[in-house]
Amino acid sequence: MIEFKNVKKIYEPNDIVLDDVSLTIKKGEFVSLVGLSGAGKSTLMRLLTHELRPTSGKIIVDGLDLDEIHDKDVPYFRRKFGTIYQDFKLLSHKTAFENVAFAMEVSDATPEEIARDVPQILSIVGLADKAPNFPQQLSGGEQQRLAIARAMIHRPKILLADEPTGNLDLVNSYDVVKLLLKINEFGTTVVLATHDTNIVNTIGRRVITMDKGKVIRDQLEAGRYII
Amino acid sequence: MMKHNFKKLLKAGWTNFRRNSYISVAVTGVMALVLMLLLGLISFQFLTARLVTSIQEKVDISTYFKIETPEDQILSVKKDLEKLPEVKSVAYVSRDQAQAEFKARHADNQLIQEALQQLENPFEATLNIRAQDPTKYEGIATFLENSKYRASMDKINYNENRAVIDKINSFASGLRLWGLIVTLVIAIIAMLITFNTIRLTIYNQKQEIEIMRLVGASNWHIRGPYLAEGAIYGFFAAVLSLVLFYPIVYLVSGKLGSFISDVDLFRYFLVNSWQIVLITLVVGILLGTLSSVIAIRKHLKI
Repeated sequence: MIEFKNVKKIYEPNDIVLDDVSLTIKKGEFVSLVGLSGAGKSTLMRLLTHELRPTSGKIIVDGLDLDEIHDKDVPYFRRKFGTIYQDFKLLSHKTAFENVAFAMEVSDATPEEIARDVPQILSIVGLADKAPNFPQQLSGGEQQRLAIARAMIHRPKILLADEPTGNLDLVNSYDVVKLLLKINEFGTTVVLATHDTNIVNTIGRRVITMDKGKVIRDQLEAGRYII
Repeated sequence: MMKHNFKKLLKAGWTNFRRNSYISVAVTGVMALVLMLLLGLISFQFLTARLVTSIQEKVDISTYFKIETPEDQILSVKKDLEKLPEVKSVAYVSRDQAQAEFKARHADNQLIQEALQQLENPFEATLNIRAQDPTKYEGIATFLENSKYRASMDKINYNENRAVIDKINSFASGLRLWGLIVTLVIAIIAMLITFNTIRLTIYNQKQEIEIMRLVGASNWHIRGPYLAEGAIYGFFAAVLSLVLFYPIVYLVSGKLGSFISDVDLFRYFLVNSWQIVLITLVVGILLGTLSSVIAIRKHLKI
């Protein structure tokens, strides 16, 4: 599903953030990407969504070589992903309902589909009664669950979660992780970047550890966060 | 489908407009000022054009015929002149008429009246010629110089008036040129103000646009509602500026009459009202939409 071949990313003039990273993630895997801040986790994620281009090396996602994607096809390519961020990245001028609906609108869903699917997913993440609220009117945990609902509404093949629990307390963090595991059960490949030791150890799946732009450890099963 | 999309777009734009009400009101206000500037320019153009014509209407040339010239000769010159395309009108003033006018003008001057009684009519018959356009007087003067009846003509006053005519012409064309330059400069300033205002509001939403892109929105999905919002700004600004401008013109119009005679600015705005309303609306909506297009372009790089 995802393949990195000798990927190098240098921010000008000579700040090496990813140094010769090679890894493969199979369809349906749940991967925790761990490491200290600045290890290169976020850069790796942003390379995947084609927000950044690698300085050298190859990235292949779902059989597509990212080098060969035309600019105008990037929006379509991004619809393969659902993305969740530490700062939620919700549209502040849109209600909870509209935030989710927007993700459907961009993939040309009909109004009927939107009216049917959005309430459904909102109730899955426990926000059925918050549909008309704006993001500022939701708590941190609610905002992140809304972001997950938005990420999942178009049934993406890959879910990228970049420090999704970074701004949340313990209880809310576990809610988010439970949702991610559930999503993974339905067959979506999940990549979770985090530096939260407890969470990684609870999940106990594949753990890739990064440090200073390099992959220093790749535990395929029952991985733990060790630095 | 097209119609459905358009409606959806307008709705999205309207929602944005409403939810950013504070900024929307500010932008609409600025754009209304810009459009009032435009309406001001229309008035300015109208007034300068009027001023130029009213000055030019005062220009003519006359040719004086010697006293013994028979009238049918003068009338044949008049006929020839009227055939020229550059001539607008030719007025014949006979000797008797000239004397009568002179007498009437000096009716209260006893001395002049008496002197005229003593004399045989000393006035010469004249043809007063008005050209379509004041730059054509030279050609008309040449035509008269080459006329076969030149011998009967006492003088042609073009040469005496030439300096004044030239001055008026250069003043008129200068006024037109400067009017155009001022109009252009102000129009450019107006566009820049609108563009920058809209650019700032869109810059404010930089992060939102970034998020939309991450969710996989195509450029049209992102751009559409902003364009609609820009058009809505323009529409409301146009309405606001018209509502404010007409009463202002009504108040100012009366005062202007005392500077430039027989100019009624308000009447001009009333007679042409539907064109003016249309122009203001079209300019407002175009300005809003185009500014949005340009302002958002920068944020749409993949």
